Amino acid sequence: MASEALDKPALGQTFIAGLWNENPVLRLVLGMCPTLAVTAAVRPALTMGCSVIFVLVCSNLVVSLMRNLLKPHLRILMFTLTIAAFVTIADLFLKAFLPEMSERLGPYVPLIIVNCIIICRAEACASKNGLAVSLVDAIGMGLGFTMTLCVLASVRELLATGKIFEQQVMPAVFVPWAAMSMPVGAFITLGLMLGLVNTITKKKA
Amino acid sequence: MSNIKHFFEQSWLLIVSSFFFGLLIAVANAAWSERIVQNEIDKRNRLMTDLIADANSFDVAAQAVEIPDTKAKVVKTDIYRALDGSGRTVGFAFIAVGSGFQDKIKLVIAVDGKCEKFLGFKVLASNETPGFGDKIKDSYFSSQFRDAPAGKLQLVKTGDDKKIDSEIVAISGATVSSEAVVKIFNTYIDTVREHLQTKGSAGNGK
Repeated sequence: MASEALDKPALGQTFIAGLWNENPVLRLVLGMCPTLAVTAAVRPALTMGCSVIFVLVCSNLVVSLMRNLLKPHLRILMFTLTIAAFVTIADLFLKAFLPEMSERLGPYVPLIIVNCIIICRAEACASKNGLAVSLVDAIGMGLGFTMTLCVLASVRELLATGKIFEQQVMPAVFVPWAAMSMPVGAFITLGLMLGLVNTITKKKA
Repeated sequence: MSNIKHFFEQSWLLIVSSFFFGLLIAVANAAWSERIVQNEIDKRNRLMTDLIADANSFDVAAQAVEIPDTKAKVVKTDIYRALDGSGRTVGFAFIAVGSGFQDKIKLVIAVDGKCEKFLGFKVLASNETPGFGDKIKDSYFSSQFRDAPAGKLQLVKTGDDKKIDSEIVAISGATVSSEAVVKIFNTYIDTVREHLQTKGSAGNGK
C-alpha cells in the first residue's frame, strides 16, 4: 500500500513531464526531422504523432521488460532492434489501411527508427523503470509530441490554405500565405513557438 | 569452447529478440500483404487511367517482358493495353524501375496506341529528397514527357521546358533524380517498343 501511494504522484509527474516540462519538441528539442517535415497540414501531423505513440509505447514496454537482462555494451543495439521492429509494423499498417497517408508521409515513417525521442526514452526511462512508469512515460511523451505537432501544423495549414483538416475556416477574403506550407514556414512557426514557451517558463521561474 | 560460451552468454538476448521480432514482422506482413498489394494495384490502375485519358479498361498485352538493364542485368515488366469503350487500343502502360538519388524509383510510363509517342509518366513509388528530388512529380518536369517521341531521351541542364521534343530540362537542384527518370525511360523504351511492334500489338487498332 505504501509503495502504491508513493508511485501515484510519480506516475502523474511522469505523465505531465512529457506534456510540458520535458516536452520532447518544445523543451528537449528532439525529433526535429518529422516536426519540420510533416507539419504542413494537421492530418499527416496527427498520423505521425499516432505512429510515434504506438512505437514509443511498444518499445518502452519491451525495453522495460528486458531491462535486467540487458548487457551495457549491447543496449543501444537492442533498443534499435526493438524500435525498428515496431516502426516496420507501423509502416506496414499505414501501407495497408491508410495508403494515401503512407505515401504522403513518405520516408518519415521509416525514419521514426532514428527519432531521438524514442531511443532517449528507452535509455533514460524504460531501461531503468518498471512497466507502469515506462508506459505512462511513453504515453505522456507521445501525447506531448503529437500535440506539439498538431499545434504547429494547425498554424501552418491555417495560414497556408485558410483551412484546418482541409475544411475552410478563414473568410474568403483571406489571402493564403504560401510560404507557410514550405520549409521556411515550419522553421518560423517552430521558432516562434519555442520563443513563446521560453518566455512563459522564464516568467514562471 | 569457452569462446562460444562467452559469445552466447553475451548475445543470447540479441539472438532471441531477433527471432521474436522477425516473427512479429512476418506475422504482420502475412496479415496485411494482400491488402498492400491490392492498394498498389488500385493505385497503378488509377495512375494508368490518369495518363491515358480515353482508357476504359486494361488488359495484359505482354507478360514478363525482359528488359536489359545498363548493369547487364535483366528486369521483367508487364505491359498493359488500354482499351476505350469500343474495345479499341488507345495506349499502353508499363511499370519501370530504376535507381534514384537514395532509393529505387518506380514509374508508370504510358505510350500511345502506335507506340510513337509518350503519354507521360506518374510516380508509383519513390523516396527522393523532399523539396528537391521529389519534384519529379511536379508538372513542370513531368509535362515535358507528354507527347515526346517514344525513343531515347536526353537530359539537358538548360533549355525550353515548354518545347516538346526528346530533350528534357532537368530540375534545378535535383539533377540526379531528373537523370534517374530519363535513364529509366531510356532503359525501357526500346525493348517495349520493339516488343509491341514485332508482336503486332501496337498500331493494330484492335
